[in-house]
Amino acid sequence: MATDDQQAARGAFLRRSLGRLARATGVALWVMVIAFGLIRIAPGDPVIALLGAEAPPAAIEKMRRDLRLDVDPATQFVEYTWGMLHGRLGTSIETRRDVADIIAESLPVTLGIIAVTLVLALAMAVPLALLIATRRSPIVPYVFRATTSVMLAIPTFFTALIGLILFGLHWRIAPIIGYEPGFPGNLRFLWLPALVICTHLVPVLSRVLHASLVQTRGEEFVETGIIRGVSRLRFAWFYLLKPSLAPSIVLLSYMVGVMIGSTVIIETIFSLPGIGRSLVGAVINRDYPLVQGIVLVFGLFVVAVSLAGDLLANWLDPRVGAA
Amino acid sequence: MSLLDIADLTIGIPRGRATPLVIVENASLRLQPGEMLGLIGESGSGKTMLCRSLIGTLRRRGAAILSGRITLAGTDLAHTDEHAWRDIRGRRVGYVPQSALAGPNPVMTIAAQLREAILQGTPGTDVPARARELLDLVQIRRPERVLDQYPHQLSGGMRQRVMIACAIAGTPELLVADEPTTGLDVTVQAGIMQLLRDIRARLGTAIILVSHDLALVDDVCDRILVMHAGACVESVPANAAPRHPYTIALNRSRIELAEPGAPLLTIAGQPPSVGDWPPGCRFAARCSIAQPDCGLGPHPPLRGEAHANACLHPERAA
Ligand SMILES: Nc1ncnc2c1ncn2[C@@H]1O[C@H](COP(=O)(O)OP(=O)(O)OP(=O)(O)O)[C@@H](O)[C@H]1O
Ligand code: SF4
Ligand SMILES: [Mg+2]
Repeated sequence: MATDDQQAARGAFLRRSLGRLARATGVALWVMVIAFGLIRIAPGDPVIALLGAEAPPAAIEKMRRDLRLDVDPATQFVEYTWGMLHGRLGTSIETRRDVADIIAESLPVTLGIIAVTLVLALAMAVPLALLIATRRSPIVPYVFRATTSVMLAIPTFFTALIGLILFGLHWRIAPIIGYEPGFPGNLRFLWLPALVICTHLVPVLSRVLHASLVQTRGEEFVETGIIRGVSRLRFAWFYLLKPSLAPSIVLLSYMVGVMIGSTVIIETIFSLPGIGRSLVGAVINRDYPLVQGIVLVFGLFVVAVSLAGDLLANWLDPRVGAA
Repeated sequence: MSLLDIADLTIGIPRGRATPLVIVENASLRLQPGEMLGLIGESGSGKTMLCRSLIGTLRRRGAAILSGRITLAGTDLAHTDEHAWRDIRGRRVGYVPQSALAGPNPVMTIAAQLREAILQGTPGTDVPARARELLDLVQIRRPERVLDQYPHQLSGGMRQRVMIACAIAGTPELLVADEPTTGLDVTVQAGIMQLLRDIRARLGTAIILVSHDLALVDDVCDRILVMHAGACVESVPANAAPRHPYTIALNRSRIELAEPGAPLLTIAGQPPSVGDWPPGCRFAARCSIAQPDCGLGPHPPLRGEAHANACLHPERAA
């Protein structure tokens, strides 16, 4: 009866999930290798960065030994991996603090920016795309395309500076410096940076969604919804949005994955102590363990977000990933 | 009294101050309760437009009824507003849209779609019980399995059965099925046709069955209405010999197809396209017995009762 079907479906789901987990592990391993290798290929030396080029050679030599930078890279990598397997990300060379602690402090700030951005972007892009796709005017889509093109052409750092000047200095409704962790107090600091990122995210998202909605609108089954006389809300969700959202969600998950690394400009302009800024500092100081730890977090974040995007897209539209 | 009475119905696309683009002109048809009518014609002849006027979705396509009457058992369908359509759709007229594969909503389970149809047709029903009953009626075995599935998990034939189940959920007096078997295998086609006959027999539903295929509708319908370039050219009882040259040609191509080794015969030429109709009979350019007077005046109307024909020279046709 129905149970073999359900069992088969559950089995398939389990297999898919296991496959994804295996792939995620693979990605994490590669990210580790690349982060480990790249920072060592880059010219510069953490000890010299810390002690200065004029430090006595004996001191440099001793520190190199203490940090176990004197052994060959392969051994370093094995030791690093070994530590990782025991949950140790290592210690920052510059601050002597636990890398995990530094990440635990700065990651939530960046995640906060991303979360607020996501909420704002969806809250703007979805109604906008829906509104434009359901109007039968020929001029509105044209204006929409032109406006979004202009928005995309303006770099976010410029928008950020203008935003800071207008909202921060002129109207004084956004703090221009400082940050307080903890929800909802942090929202005071996050709304403006999120809005700035939205000036690029909303045009891309609403355009993709608009294109999907226009395609859906022309499909046969939409007429079925009208003929059945379902309520406006039900129609908007089940007959327009739900069949149209999957490509936008997949795109969004990709963009969010990239965002964790690209918020650094925004974090710098708004002086938010996010993980992007930590990474920049770590690279400048050649703080190997910190760089490795942060890049690994980025990698895991990208994998997790794209997995979440896939699952969400599949839930919205069961045709996705059915093949 | 007839169930459905369409008289001199003209459907077109209004174009501001310019004359509207006429798509169906002076269509007339009468349907008795429980009658099964086949509506055939080449692609673009206006079959779907005519069907849309029966379910109130012309406006969505930018089209409108320009003149004429549609009466469904006393109700005027030609001048119905969007609000009044809600009481007609699903409850008095059931609709199976063109194309089996794209009909059901791909992001809703079959159960959810049946639920919508059931609640529209008969609010306050016990939905699960009625859903089973409907799936039984359209001869879907193992309904509990189908209910939890999404359309893409079903075969084309199953999808079409589900669409039919949805269309009859409110036990309408009239079921309009627009090419319900296009794109399905021949054996599946036969099953769907049999199902429509069963529904008519069990529920007494009058059915308008749209098709390209004369042979298919000739087997299952009581009567066939033939359309050519937006006009009704013949209303012929099933199994009667056709009298209009267009229908004769359609029928001949079908018979010669049935003979093994016979060359595939289709009707030469194309029907004139919308907006490009010549005066007089629109079949004239393709008709082997066309006379000089065929190209004069408006398109000839259907004449006659049980077997109506629009040809001006029926005595010459053979
Ligand atoms: N919005 C529109 N603007 C202009 N012409 C239209 C429009 N909608 C339909 N038509 C034309 O009206 C004619 C009739 O279309 P209809 O869909 O009713 O044909 P049909 O007989 O159902 O054909 P098919 O067998 O291919 O489904 C076609 O020639 C089509 O091009
Ligand atoms: S009216 Fe004339 S052209 Fe038209 S079908 Fe009859 S004979 Fe042919
Ligand atoms: Mg059609």
